[in-house]
Amino acid sequence: MDRRALALGALAAGLVILASAAGSGWFQWFDTALAGYLFGVVFFAFATVYRYTVWLRRPPTAKLHARGWEALWHRGDRGRNTGSLLGLIVRNLFLQDFIWKRSKSRWLAHQTLFWGCMLAVAVTFPLTLGWIHFTSVGQSARTYETSFFTIPVLEFDVGGVIAWFFFHALDISAVLVLIGVFIFLFRRLKEPGAVATTRANDHLALAGLFAVSVTGLMLTVSHQFLAGQYYNFINVLHALTVMIGLAYIPFGKLFHIFQRPANLGVKFYKRAADEGEPQICTECGEGFASALQVGDLKDILPELGFDYGSDDGNWQDVCPGCRRRLLARSQSLRVGGFG
Amino acid sequence: MAAIEDFFDHPDAIGIGDKVYVMDPSRCIGCNACVQACTECDTHKGNSMMHLEEVDRASSTQTAPMVCMHCDDPTCAEVCPADAIKKTEDGVVQSAEKSRCIGCSNCVIACPFGVPEYYEEFDMMMKCDMCYDRTSVGSEPMCTSVCPSQALWYGTIEEFHATRPGTLSNEFQFGNRLVTTRVHTVVHEPGPLDVLLGRSFEPSVVSDPFGFDEIGLPEVVG
Repeated sequence: MDRRALALGALAAGLVILASAAGSGWFQWFDTALAGYLFGVVFFAFATVYRYTVWLRRPPTAKLHARGWEALWHRGDRGRNTGSLLGLIVRNLFLQDFIWKRSKSRWLAHQTLFWGCMLAVAVTFPLTLGWIHFTSVGQSARTYETSFFTIPVLEFDVGGVIAWFFFHALDISAVLVLIGVFIFLFRRLKEPGAVATTRANDHLALAGLFAVSVTGLMLTVSHQFLAGQYYNFINVLHALTVMIGLAYIPFGKLFHIFQRPANLGVKFYKRAADEGEPQICTECGEGFASALQVGDLKDILPELGFDYGSDDGNWQDVCPGCRRRLLARSQSLRVGGFG
Repeated sequence: MAAIEDFFDHPDAIGIGDKVYVMDPSRCIGCNACVQACTECDTHKGNSMMHLEEVDRASSTQTAPMVCMHCDDPTCAEVCPADAIKKTEDGVVQSAEKSRCIGCSNCVIACPFGVPEYYEEFDMMMKCDMCYDRTSVGSEPMCTSVCPSQALWYGTIEEFHATRPGTLSNEFQFGNRLVTTRVHTVVHEPGPLDVLLGRSFEPSVVSDPFGFDEIGLPEVVG
């Protein structure tokens, strides 16, 4: 076990508990029916920070992490970088236009999944932590009052549009997630390329999202159409799927949610590298890549146990094209010439 | 009753088995058939992962094809900050996992064979995966199926020795680093291929096959 990661993970878990206490009036408004979910969220925070810290310790990740922040905060570029950062967050993290360019159907699936999950997180996390609670106003029970961090913020009619949205937000998110799950599942079962490269982990992520969404929708079905039949059983089932899902996220495919933002760091690293010196190939004399990144790799490779050095210079100073050409030449020599 | 394994094993999943991929650049005629065929691969349809280089057009007709060599200990995967490159149980190094690749190009720069490519429009790396859609179900890769000179070849080691001269090597020396791969190349004598020796390549045999330069014929052109 990584001690630093354990400590940071425990700190994150502690902060979640503290945030819950602060937002619920020191647990006065904490909904004990959601205690299981709170446990799930606390573990999720611990595990995510733990895994992230361990991930950052890998030499290439550590280097990129340092370089990304360094490039972002580079004196003189901060104004420009702040502007591009906002644009990148919208385009890459929210609209995900890079997926659009890869495949329109995958983009649609990913967007419905993403916004479905975002909506669910926006609803359930504040409820679980006790940040939001509802009380009825007066004796009629026609009007509800919403409090955020114990401060009343909104009154609404229980038969109105706002109420409908509050009570059905998770149904909407479940439907969005299921649309995404089915598009992805169809692709994984039908597209030959996807069939060949799909691993159990890919199906596990879809199965988890499916289970959470369907058991959640079953709760609505139970109280809307079955007069609450099986509600308690479905409730336990749903809580179980959510808790297992939360525990799975940091260690499975969905950890890419937390890895992907590193792509923004890459953008700034690459821009800083491109604005610096190019790396000149020792064979053809042409520039390839950036001297910064090639230098970084030459630092990282020995740490990983890879020594590409020799008396004739470092193989990493040769451009990819010349690497391919030299291999063909050396092989031809070994069989007595080309042809 | 069917055994539990029968239920889990995909009926088509006969896999690569004892087949080897052999790349013999000395036989390459630069026809580009492999480059075109590669675009048919289902895992990267429309994009060719095949590299085909002219070595030095002025002095030689030698061309240099290059597929992913599928290293036993892949440099690309080790330098990947996002753990996006994985090797399957049958030794095939897969292209970047789409959900993980953050487009940093570390693999592009570090691969000793110069194989991975960064695709700006997709913001990710893509590379040859030995036609995993085909080889994982017992077919041969697109490129070997169309190569007219068998510079790219796929089959068992027994088939290779029964039909071709030379011996196979899957060891490549890059300075101090010895890389072993799943893909083999052809050599006359056994032993690792010292790639840096390629620098001593003399193309004269090809550019002056009749020795005219040596007998000192008068200049008639230029």
